Amino acid sequence: MSVAVGPAAPARKQGTQGQQNGPQGARNQPKPPENLMAGLRRTAKTTPGRLGLIMVGLVVLSLLAGVVGLITVQGRASTLDDLVTSREPFSAAAQQIYRALSDADATQASAFLTSATEPTQLRARYDNDIEAAGAALAVAGSDISGVPGAAKPLSDLAANIPVYTGLVERASANNEQGFPVGSAYLREADNLMQNTLLPAAEKLYEIDSARLSSAQDDATSFPWLAAILTLVLLVALVLAQRYLRRRTNRVLNIGLFVASIAVLVAVLWSAVGMVLESINVDNGQTNGSAQEAVLSRAEIDALKGRTDEMLNLVARGGQDYSGPYATAAKDLGGTDGAGGLLGQARSASGDNTVTSDVDAAINATRSWFDLHNKVTSANQAGDYDTAAGITLGALGAAQNESGTFDKVDGALGQAIKQARVDFTSATNTGSDWLIGLPIGVLVLFVIAAIGATVGIWQRLREYR
Amino acid sequence: MRWATRARTGAAVLAVLGALTLATGCAANNGPVDLANVAPATPPLPGGVQEGQHAVPSTGNAGATPPAQCGDPTASLSPPSSMPTPGQMPAGSTMAKIQARGKLIVGVDQNTYLFGYRNPKHNTLEGFDIDMVKDIEQAIFGSQEPRYVEYKAITSAQRITALTSGQVDMVVRTFTVNCARKQQVAFSAVYYQAQRRLLVENTSSAQSINDMAGKKVCATAGSDSLSQSGPVPVAVNDWSDCLVLLQQGQVDGITTDDTILAGMAAQDPNTKIVGPPIAPEPYGIAMPLHDDDLVRFVNGVLAQVKSSGSWTRSYTTWVGDRLGATPAPPQATYAG
Repeated sequence: MSVAVGPAAPARKQGTQGQQNGPQGARNQPKPPENLMAGLRRTAKTTPGRLGLIMVGLVVLSLLAGVVGLITVQGRASTLDDLVTSREPFSAAAQQIYRALSDADATQASAFLTSATEPTQLRARYDNDIEAAGAALAVAGSDISGVPGAAKPLSDLAANIPVYTGLVERASANNEQGFPVGSAYLREADNLMQNTLLPAAEKLYEIDSARLSSAQDDATSFPWLAAILTLVLLVALVLAQRYLRRRTNRVLNIGLFVASIAVLVAVLWSAVGMVLESINVDNGQTNGSAQEAVLSRAEIDALKGRTDEMLNLVARGGQDYSGPYATAAKDLGGTDGAGGLLGQARSASGDNTVTSDVDAAINATRSWFDLHNKVTSANQAGDYDTAAGITLGALGAAQNESGTFDKVDGALGQAIKQARVDFTSATNTGSDWLIGLPIGVLVLFVIAAIGATVGIWQRLREYR
Repeated sequence: MRWATRARTGAAVLAVLGALTLATGCAANNGPVDLANVAPATPPLPGGVQEGQHAVPSTGNAGATPPAQCGDPTASLSPPSSMPTPGQMPAGSTMAKIQARGKLIVGVDQNTYLFGYRNPKHNTLEGFDIDMVKDIEQAIFGSQEPRYVEYKAITSAQRITALTSGQVDMVVRTFTVNCARKQQVAFSAVYYQAQRRLLVENTSSAQSINDMAGKKVCATAGSDSLSQSGPVPVAVNDWSDCLVLLQQGQVDGITTDDTILAGMAAQDPNTKIVGPPIAPEPYGIAMPLHDDDLVRFVNGVLAQVKSSGSWTRSYTTWVGDRLGATPAPPQATYAG
């Protein structure tokens, strides 16, 4: 047994002596927890032990904060990517289903009123609508299959669109032979559309819309876990540097200083990046997806109103559709065309193109309301021919309700397109602010871990 | 030693866990997973279809009230001894009011083929009932131009309310005369004698309404065709909806006036009218209850139409030989 000289020697000597004198099988037993805690407490009583513990703690904390930071920022970046490539396009596809089906219904009623042989234009428009609805349904179905509550509307749509088109064909065939049972089939088709297909399409759109909003919320939420871990790490670094300064009388520990700078840079960079990203995503919501939602509902109301107008003519006094028309019209433009959803879209608009498109829609809606009043008074006076003529646009440009409605529909379509462009560009800008941040954050925290290790190791070496 | 004990306990635990896994694995369902739940296809229905006894409408005949008694329901007021010249209606009369207004407002149907329907080719209403309206228009205004008549398409159920609420001057819509209805509206003399019969598919073995016990039979709400017991009544808003239901296989038969059935058979050659006449269905033009002068005037017009051969012309145009040989115009019965 060597006898070392120096203050540390007696402690070590006692340690080895103690081990030799222990019970025979003691070395083979695993240490129970009390021994571990006692061991730690013993280590913490000595300065090198304490320094070692601090080093391990700082390294673990840095790496943990780095990994959490990486996951958080990476998660955010992929949510943004998902928003632009999946969530918003699928939501637009769901709205497309509703629009196409509703337009098909109104086109059929219009064709029915026009003549026995369907005009080619109306037939082509109907065919395009059904095809658009089918394609959009396939797209929406591929995305939403795992969502509870979406299975029923999807299967309702998929099962009943062929039934609807079958009824329309039967109506058409009977109509062409001059049989009034054709109008009965058309009314049955419309009944199916209004009571089964369109509610299912609306439900699908609502589900997709809700998923879009919740993804946007995820992308702008505050990263609590990463922030807390980083704060704890910063505080630990500061406390460690203060301890070292007291113990070693050195003002600056290079390693820990570098570690602190690295963490500060990470904090600043991710704060700036994520704040700007959130601002842009919020912008994408205000001027993009929220506007799109309002304008889509406006388009749905416009289509509902138009279909009710046509059905009033088809029913020709048998059934009154003026109540449903009034509700849809009021939702769309309020009492004068500038209120309701159109007014809401205009006042919330931050994009000049969208504003001018909504203005065009408001003007066209005003004309539409005026012409509808003319149709109503013609109907009440029993002048069916004038009422039908105005509605179908057969009485010249001054009283062309069909053309006016097309203007409303067209302007709303343009506004929706621009809102979608706004959404995509704002969300992509937000995503740009996160470029390099995930890896950068991880690298900076690894640097912090290395800095802490190096800084404390240098001090530990002095204890040998 | 302790190591060995620990090893034995560990092995025992593993064995128990393994046994449990195997047991649950064997008990696990090995059946296939069906992702698409396919329900049997249900064909669509027209709007407003009602099935069952509650669908039987009350036209004053249903329920505990006994059928109203009024003698001969087809007896109407006698026409004036001389008809006024067209365009010069007697002052203060209902016809003068109509003439002053400039148009005759009539409740009609737009879905009953042959009697009142909208021809898709020209978007105009035509049929036997419409011919009668045109004759009355001619007698009041002296012309058959469309601008003197406003046609209001109404459902079967609205026939009486349209008159009592003053929306129309008269209803010409395959309206059967009976005592209960005479308490609410006034009828002209009979202008067409129809019979209630049954329409079924060509492949059906039913010979009459008695063969339809327990089967679904369609009629419109508000008509008196559904007061049979035996068949399951299915009520719709419009007659053409009945044909849709028959073609879609959702009802087994349609019971109503042979005129309406003839129109349906003309639209669908795979159907046939069967059975003896179930009940007579005399048609009258309905007018508001106390418009006696209008009733007499209309009866005068009808008498002229029958005697001038115009009735036979209309019959030949619309009904033709679908219901057998062309009959003579129905005799009018007057009382008062």
